[in-house]
Amino acid sequence: MLPTGSVSALRLAAAGPEGTSDILVELGIVLLVLAILGRLAARMGIPSIPLYLLAGLMLGEGGLIPLDAGEEFLAVGAQIGVVLLLLLLGLEYSPEDLRHGLRTTWLAGLVDGLANGLPGFALGLLMGWSVTASLLLAGVTYISSSGIIARLLGDFERYTNRETPVILSILVMEDIVMAVFLPIMAVLLVGASVAQGAVAAGVAIALVAAAVFVSFKFSRHVSAAVHSRSRELLLLSVLGLTFLVAGLAEAAQVSAAVGAFLLGLTLSGQVADDVRDLMPPLRDVFGGIFFVFFGVTIDPRDLIPVLLPALALAVVTAATKIATGMWAAKRAGIGPKGQWRAGVSLVPRGEFSIVIAGLGIGAGVQPQLGPLAAAYVLILAFSGSLMMRYAAKIGPPSRWLPARADAR
Amino acid sequence: MDIFETPLPGVGVRYEFTAESGDRVGIVVRRDGKRDIGIYDREDPDDCTGTLELSEGDASALAELLGGTNITARLESLRHTVEGLAIEWITMPAHGGLTNRTIGDGRIRTTTAASIVAVIRDEVGVPGPGPSFELRAGDTVLVMGSEHAVGQARQILIG
Repeated sequence: MLPTGSVSALRLAAAGPEGTSDILVELGIVLLVLAILGRLAARMGIPSIPLYLLAGLMLGEGGLIPLDAGEEFLAVGAQIGVVLLLLLLGLEYSPEDLRHGLRTTWLAGLVDGLANGLPGFALGLLMGWSVTASLLLAGVTYISSSGIIARLLGDFERYTNRETPVILSILVMEDIVMAVFLPIMAVLLVGASVAQGAVAAGVAIALVAAAVFVSFKFSRHVSAAVHSRSRELLLLSVLGLTFLVAGLAEAAQVSAAVGAFLLGLTLSGQVADDVRDLMPPLRDVFGGIFFVFFGVTIDPRDLIPVLLPALALAVVTAATKIATGMWAAKRAGIGPKGQWRAGVSLVPRGEFSIVIAGLGIGAGVQPQLGPLAAAYVLILAFSGSLMMRYAAKIGPPSRWLPARADAR
Repeated sequence: MDIFETPLPGVGVRYEFTAESGDRVGIVVRRDGKRDIGIYDREDPDDCTGTLELSEGDASALAELLGGTNITARLESLRHTVEGLAIEWITMPAHGGLTNRTIGDGRIRTTTAASIVAVIRDEVGVPGPGPSFELRAGDTVLVMGSEHAVGQARQILIG
């Protein structure tokens, strides 16, 4: 990571006016496209992530506008985007939230993981993928988009609803699972044998557990050290610490994303509040670049052969998500309509499915994983948000089984 | 009244209670200080018929408004808690009545059956003043008894 970064920086600096102008023009186009799409999404009341993905597919290789000069910058920007996404995710939760989540939601988390991970895993194997690639697809289908869901819950004024804690605690559980899942995958992707993989996975889990323990223990000290009343200094210290921790985590095969997530959990109190105010715009810019870059790396022509499997997978895992949510809500004593709302609200997949698929693409594990994940997220980010908006209002179709009712 | 508290991970805390009217009220205190107030639907007890989003300032203004009436209502209810028992605060006049005379001079208990429970002078309370206690202008006298008796005592005190 570090050598290529410094080489490209050198090349950038040495490129002179000609190369720089190309990069700036391309970057300008990309950001303007994002801005236009973001407006469009806001106007239509849908999340911007699927539109950014579409934009990425249109740009770059095989798309309408080829990008080449700016691609290296986009690659680094995308990496920064992932790190910031996970840093802010970690900041959203206090250690208390996690402890409470683990204690009360572990069973729902397990059911959620099996019901929604298995279809992805099975499809991967069916298509003749390796176990590692199938596991990544399981991750893609398992994890709901807490970004999309939390925003839509706010938009639809459903924070006060009684089923909302059920939805949120399942999202917390998924994020905890991801913090363990990513390092395991990172180890498996290096190409370890099953036995090596098991040992390495154990090491990864132990490492994450130790990091969680240390971060909770020293939360106050780290936060105090980083704190500054100057926004500039705060931003510099938090960004610096984040990139450093993420880079070290990546070097230790724990994945940069997990490093950033753990750092986000560690920061607390005033610092966390300040960073939550400062960082979201930065995250949205680089997060947008991340989604675009993911699209750019995929040739739209590769989407056609995976469209049917993606659609089938989307239908099945939307149904399993709804079933999971309804089951969890029922256990929490929520009425039938609330159960339906909780189920439907968990359907949208988004940023973290892309993060997981991106891990596989980086390692070149399965050429079809990227296109399939892109198509899958496009389908479920769109239809999931629409379902949250309309299906949740209409209520469960009482004559049908909820699982069948979802089949489009 | 029971107030139930539910953590909303990543958002804040939700409080929930049932009003005497039977309406169920939910209040979300978000981490950034915003408040959401929702009234639950009677048909679908998990959904809200309407929600109200308040900034931190809005919330404290609302609390003040609600709290203000609350205090008056409490005083009001204090007055009426016991059926047939009247409590009255009487301020002594500058001249006349029992001003500059002792409680014993008024013979309030013998003639009216009301009793002087306490006297407040210069913000200091004197509980259970004896018959030799001399009343002064501006004293506040707490009289307790039946409504009729308290009315008679009032006549004697202020003349």
